[in-house]
Amino acid sequence: MSEVKFSRRDFLKLTAFGAAAAAGTRLVKEAGASSAAPGGEHQWAMVIDQSKCTGCNYCTLACQAHNDVSPQNQWNVVLQAGEVGGHQVFLPRPCMQCAKAPCVEVCMVGASYYRDDGIVMMDYDKCIGCRYCQAACPYQARVFNWEAFEGSNPAVPEWGKPEVERRPRGVPEKCSFCYHRIDRGLSLGLTPGVDLQATPACVNACPTGARIFGDLNDPESNVSKILKEHFSYRLRDDLATGARVYYLPADPKEMDVEVES
Amino acid sequence: MIANLRAKFPALNPWMLWLGFLSLLLAIGLACGILIFWKGLVITNLTDLVPWGLWITIDLSSIALSAGAFSLCAAVYLIGLKRYEPVARTATFIGLTGYTMAMLSLLLDIGRPDRFWHAVVYWNTHSLLWEVTMCVVLYLTVLVLETMPILANFEWLKSRFPKLAARMSRVHHYAPYLAIAGLCLSMLHQSSLGAVYGVLKARPFWYKPEMAVLFMFSAIVGGISLTVFASMLASRLTPRARVNDALLERVAHFVGWALVPYLYFRAWDWLAMTYTYQPGRTEGLEVMTKGPLSFNFWVGEILLGAVVPLILLLRQRTRQNRFWRMAALALVVGGVIAYRWDINLSGFLVIVSYLPGEAVVSYTSYLPSLVEIGAGLGVIAFGLTAFSLGVRYLRVVDHRYVAEARETVKKEAPETVPV
Repeated sequence: MSEVKFSRRDFLKLTAFGAAAAAGTRLVKEAGASSAAPGGEHQWAMVIDQSKCTGCNYCTLACQAHNDVSPQNQWNVVLQAGEVGGHQVFLPRPCMQCAKAPCVEVCMVGASYYRDDGIVMMDYDKCIGCRYCQAACPYQARVFNWEAFEGSNPAVPEWGKPEVERRPRGVPEKCSFCYHRIDRGLSLGLTPGVDLQATPACVNACPTGARIFGDLNDPESNVSKILKEHFSYRLRDDLATGARVYYLPADPKEMDVEVES
Repeated sequence: MIANLRAKFPALNPWMLWLGFLSLLLAIGLACGILIFWKGLVITNLTDLVPWGLWITIDLSSIALSAGAFSLCAAVYLIGLKRYEPVARTATFIGLTGYTMAMLSLLLDIGRPDRFWHAVVYWNTHSLLWEVTMCVVLYLTVLVLETMPILANFEWLKSRFPKLAARMSRVHHYAPYLAIAGLCLSMLHQSSLGAVYGVLKARPFWYKPEMAVLFMFSAIVGGISLTVFASMLASRLTPRARVNDALLERVAHFVGWALVPYLYFRAWDWLAMTYTYQPGRTEGLEVMTKGPLSFNFWVGEILLGAVVPLILLLRQRTRQNRFWRMAALALVVGGVIAYRWDINLSGFLVIVSYLPGEAVVSYTSYLPSLVEIGAGLGVIAFGLTAFSLGVRYLRVVDHRYVAEARETVKKEAPETVPV
């Protein structure tokens, strides 16, 4: 070891370099918006009333059309979730738009990120297709484009017209709360959740009104009122993901009334 | 008959046959790779439920089995075990090859290979994969620098560009500094590769802190084993590889002892999972110990991957016997690969339901498609080709090779004024 001297000075230099590198990383982290906790003027949320859901899948079809989703990939799914009082219960599952989204935390390039209004977005031009987000999502809300979606969309035009660009092969995609409808509606002075043009397609398509959409920051919005008055739950709340999709559990009494009427 | 053939085709020697075989595998791999870039990942058996499969296993295994480079370089240049320097040389070359293999398999695996550079340009410092990417890219640079003196051995380079070759071999002066950088970067990403799985709270089978520890331990054990095994194999097959068997035996002895804590941590990992029932985690354990992965686990990982080599390498008589020593080291390498395969799949095959009050888990399955296997064989053939060429032309396995003596500057002590 006598040939090469590794002096204390060298060691200090190296340590200083390491500290500088760490500090640099820290700065980059603070500058990056992707990991910042969302907190804007609006906080969009969805309430799904399981007493009203009949499992008709209109929401899925409207979603497929408006977001131009391939029939193999579904952003929204309707699952059978057991029985209550002799009634089949359904559970529609869009993306939960988590406040602490596992997919955003793990995305190496920051292609998944939060908007100020809480929507978890995908930058399809940034994504490299590593699929770590799929491994991280507890809700299987992400679907990968294993192949390019070519040809016509069977849900169009019956269920609506495409409003966003098709995603390329090799990136995962997911529900975005129809952010484009919200943005366009707000710019026209409309209220998302009230005016159809500014509301997600699945909410508009629901024939029983099982889906309610609105702003959590507005105490007068439908979602704020309903969440104040009713018992609600969120999926996998134990994981503390801070989901923005709330469910009103199926109430057999309410379901009986609906069947009679 | 064979002599006749030899006389007719002088090119038909074992070396050419071996290269021919590797070229065939490389051609298959290339064809599969092109097919994948052309058709997309739809021709694989990967699904939304099992998005990572064979290629991720190859990626993780080649990174793990390259860990000999950083651990042996640290032993030689930082701890000062100088006599192992020739073994560290071999390990460094294997490391560079392994990391290149990992890059190749990742390029196959990502959906947008045209955007591979995004991983370096766009940062999400919260992501463990970001950290791994940064460390791997930086460590690859360190490995290239560490390999410079080895590449400088290329006869053609020496005769054609003697100054460049001399400059490249002088990089060896910085070996201790490179060893420090390599040690830091490797410890970071070898363990973080385990943490990539360990931080996913949606996957209870992985969600635990010991993933990082196990990945690092198994990498060190497997990486050193591969280095010694490859050195011994090369020395048996070609006179161009010369080894000091006593030296390799001592390294193998260390592997034998290192297997003891590895087995302990591995056993702790799986036995501690039985303490409590946690949905998804317990089922993952069952998939691994009783289900479709049970043979892999009990035979590949535990019995042949750890227990048998542990005994073979700690018993003096079997360790000194070259055949048994090589067999033991090869088994360790196989065990590390089996570990990566099992861990990846036991987490994915169990699907935890997000529905409230529902039976908690369901199961899926995965078997790689022919295209995946073909492309994977191509990546492995690339590694074998690189090592074979290294042994033949760069004296990668040559324990008589003494690195260029480092210059020392002797300064005379300043004279003191007599009192």
